[in-house]
Amino acid sequence: MATRFKAFVVAACASALALCAAVATAHHSAAQFDFQQRVTVEGTVKEFNVTNPHTWAVVELKDDKRGTRDAQFEGHSASHFYRAGYTRDMVKVGDKIAILIAPRRDGEDGGFIQAFTVNGKTVGFGGLSPETGKREGASE
Amino acid sequence: MTKGPRARRALIATLTATICGAAVSVAEAQKPDFTGVYESYRAPQGQGQGQGRGGPRAALPLTEEGKRRNEEYNVLAGPTRLNGATFCADYGTPSMMSLPGAYPIEFIQKGDQLTIIYEVNNETRRIYIGDRQVAPEKRLPSRAGYSAGHWEGNVLVVKTTDLLDGQDQTGSPFSDQATIDERFSFEDANGKKVLVYQAAITDPIYYTEPVKIERRYQAYDGFIIPYGCQDELWYELLDLRRDQMKAGKPVEARMSDVYKVREARE
Repeated sequence: MATRFKAFVVAACASALALCAAVATAHHSAAQFDFQQRVTVEGTVKEFNVTNPHTWAVVELKDDKRGTRDAQFEGHSASHFYRAGYTRDMVKVGDKIAILIAPRRDGEDGGFIQAFTVNGKTVGFGGLSPETGKREGASE
Repeated sequence: MTKGPRARRALIATLTATICGAAVSVAEAQKPDFTGVYESYRAPQGQGQGQGRGGPRAALPLTEEGKRRNEEYNVLAGPTRLNGATFCADYGTPSMMSLPGAYPIEFIQKGDQLTIIYEVNNETRRIYIGDRQVAPEKRLPSRAGYSAGHWEGNVLVVKTTDLLDGQDQTGSPFSDQATIDERFSFEDANGKKVLVYQAAITDPIYYTEPVKIERRYQAYDGFIIPYGCQDELWYELLDLRRDQMKAGKPVEARMSDVYKVREARE
């Protein structure tokens, strides 16, 4: 799943980097995130709050280098989540999740959610189709 | 059954009034109806740029006071670029008309009023058209301002006043002496019906000359999504107190605790 997911989310957001960043900066103090970078993290959902003005999530990460720890992620508003294909209760506590993020500039865990896959379903942002990973409609 | 001169005059008067009334109704009916949900206009491939997103902020004609205010804001915003939207503050007029964050906007036009609702924060502004206006001394200054409109042909011409001193989220200021001259019209663009919004901000405190904005919107094939924001603070406070209650602790969380939790997430 991870490889397929990575292929989608990289294609999805690489083609719309500017838009992803533009949408993000409308509501967020985006200075702490590097929107020129993309990193995929995988873990277990501990909290996932799709809310306004922005979503936030806590995901348990685990790797050999840094062990097990909780990481916090920010994301778009609830409106953008639902337009991007999110449905109510799509993500539940305990779900395995893969998230494509714009990482923090300080190198710490966490980042800004650009796309995610959970239970076989992917949601991507920036006017991109979650099914095809391509931009819908005409270009800006 | 022959009618007298008085009856004929009455009949003529009635017919005249009916015809004039019908003419007025036809004229009213010919005014554009902006009712609908819109998003930023997107030009077809290779036919120029859409003009729904982004700001007119490249080279603002700031006065010395405007420059000082801008520099002050940069210090206040700090390196993480805090902005009001993060705290559910309204964008105000004309910022909301730029559709910051790329959300849709709804226009509801009915007779002597055009109501505009931006999805974010359900931010609402009302344009009163024609003679029905709030008396100047009764106008409460606000981020939206007070908007009075009239028709010039098929263009709705609006003057917005009674704004609060403030700054948009990019830091560009406007004073309580600012006025905004706005125009709403339809045009055909590449076979697509486009709503054109033009605004000129005149502000003797912060700008040496009017700042002009132009945006284009196209019909949005979708719905406005309810956007709660400020109320999230209240529910987060309840969550904190619920956690305290479940833990058998005194239920005493304050709004300042909510902000601490939020700051810890940033």
